[in-house]
Amino acid sequence: MHPIFTLLNKEITLEWRQRHALGSMLLYVLATVFIVFSVLKNISPNVWIAIFWIIILFASANATTRSFYQESGARQLFYYQLSHSLNFIFSKLIYNFFLLLIIGLLTWLGFSFFSKPIVKDIPLFFLTIMLGCMAFSTIYTFISAIANKTPNGASMMAILSFPLMIPVLLTLLKLSAQACRLLQDTGYWKDIVILLSIDGMLIGVMIFLFPFIWRD
Amino acid sequence: MEKSASGNSFVLAFFKYAGFVLILYSLIAGLMVPLKPGILQVDPVVIDAGKQSLLTITGYNTSFESKNDLQVFLKLKDGSFIESSNNLVRSANKMEVAFQMPANLPITDKISEAVLLVNSPNDGSMIKPSAVSIRQGLLPLTTAMDGIFIKDPGKLHQHVGWSFPYRLILEETIRNSYYHIPLWFAMIVLFGYSVWASWKYLKSKNPHYDDIAIASTSIGIVLGLLGLATGALWAKHTWGQYWSGDIKQNMTAISLLIYLAYFVLRSSLEDQNKKYSLSAVYNIFAFVAMIPLIFVIPRLTDSLHPGNGGNPAMGGEDLDNSMRMVFYPACIGWIFFTLWLTNLLRRINKLERNKLDY
Repeated sequence: MHPIFTLLNKEITLEWRQRHALGSMLLYVLATVFIVFSVLKNISPNVWIAIFWIIILFASANATTRSFYQESGARQLFYYQLSHSLNFIFSKLIYNFFLLLIIGLLTWLGFSFFSKPIVKDIPLFFLTIMLGCMAFSTIYTFISAIANKTPNGASMMAILSFPLMIPVLLTLLKLSAQACRLLQDTGYWKDIVILLSIDGMLIGVMIFLFPFIWRD
Repeated sequence: MEKSASGNSFVLAFFKYAGFVLILYSLIAGLMVPLKPGILQVDPVVIDAGKQSLLTITGYNTSFESKNDLQVFLKLKDGSFIESSNNLVRSANKMEVAFQMPANLPITDKISEAVLLVNSPNDGSMIKPSAVSIRQGLLPLTTAMDGIFIKDPGKLHQHVGWSFPYRLILEETIRNSYYHIPLWFAMIVLFGYSVWASWKYLKSKNPHYDDIAIASTSIGIVLGLLGLATGALWAKHTWGQYWSGDIKQNMTAISLLIYLAYFVLRSSLEDQNKKYSLSAVYNIFAFVAMIPLIFVIPRLTDSLHPGNGGNPAMGGEDLDNSMRMVFYPACIGWIFFTLWLTNLLRRINKLERNKLDY
């Protein structure tokens, strides 16, 4: 088996041993969605989209902060001797991507349960969530690798990653508005290409830069 | 491994003096050169066809008094001109003109806007678009007015001497082009320089490049704040408020957040090598994450800046040759000057680091 999948298997086993962490994260999403719809009745589509992405942004920040923290420096040294750095970061990335995808789909499920149907183009919205989760997981995985080296990692994670999220969020909001038919833009596939190229660029630069963090 | 600063001291001295001279020149020329004469106000703004109308024209930087052969025209939508019957100059900036507007205009619209054209041998020709609205059909056609429409107003005078264009809304704030825009250019150059230096640091692990990176981001942030301040003042005059949530303002706020986060990251790390390499990695990653803004900006169509959201780009009458003579030297001057400042700060940082080492 390829080392990436072995490491991925290790991630899943670790997560399964700490089921409470996974459960608390899902509870966090459901509780937030419930609070939003208790406070804001008759939510307008624009606000719906904005809150949707903000919940995903914060929930995924919570979920991914743990990705480097749960393993001590000594164990990372152990992995360093066992495997190539790229295998390591890719296993984290793939794991975080699926984690964020679950968060995203769960939030969507909660939102569509509590509100009137707002999403008109379901395949496009699903694609938006996929691309968004890919960009989020890339940025969060990489920044948590940096933040892990600092003394107060959890707050550093938010400080370092949120400014980088804004350009991605702007594109995601536009594409979501398109999926909800709030915009009449025939060239929305350009936004998909933009998001894809953002994802590609971030993953590329991560491949490039991760060995420099790893070595320390 | 350390590069000596004296090796390129000639280049540095050149950057310093050339930058200083060019900025000084842009300050003096940008503030001293007058604006072209223009028409500030026309009162009243609505006149009726078929009767004599008295318009009060307020000029800006004009010299109505000095010569008496002024010509004042109204230009209708179809391109025909009508000349005023009588001009009464009150002061250098104020005159009253009378128009004998015939009841039947060459156009059929009930209300149409007309351009005011003042042709003065001293001030050149000045226009004010949409100066007055002419109503017709309210008065009976029998009232005879002796104004006649002509196709050609004759020879138009040119203003002589160095002056900046007089633009509506912008007015004197057009001079901000020499301070606001070059600050941005210099900021982008410095941020690019710091990314290059971070990359070199990761390759060579030479602290020299970290000094460059931190110095150029520090100066870049100061330039960004200055750019925001000059932009906010400009926005107050032209758009009505300091902060309009314009996409470029937002983009600047984001990039400043990113670089402030960069400083927080640095200050939280104690170990020198860890600090240098982590901040270099973050600097490059942040720069790549910022690239989408360049693609996102044109897609988010509404911006108040020139060149976005259907606004005309810089150029044409917003940046004519008289302004280019100040604008380009100002850009080069700010880039040179801030590169020199960066180098100065880098040398200070190097001294501080050596003090820590021993």
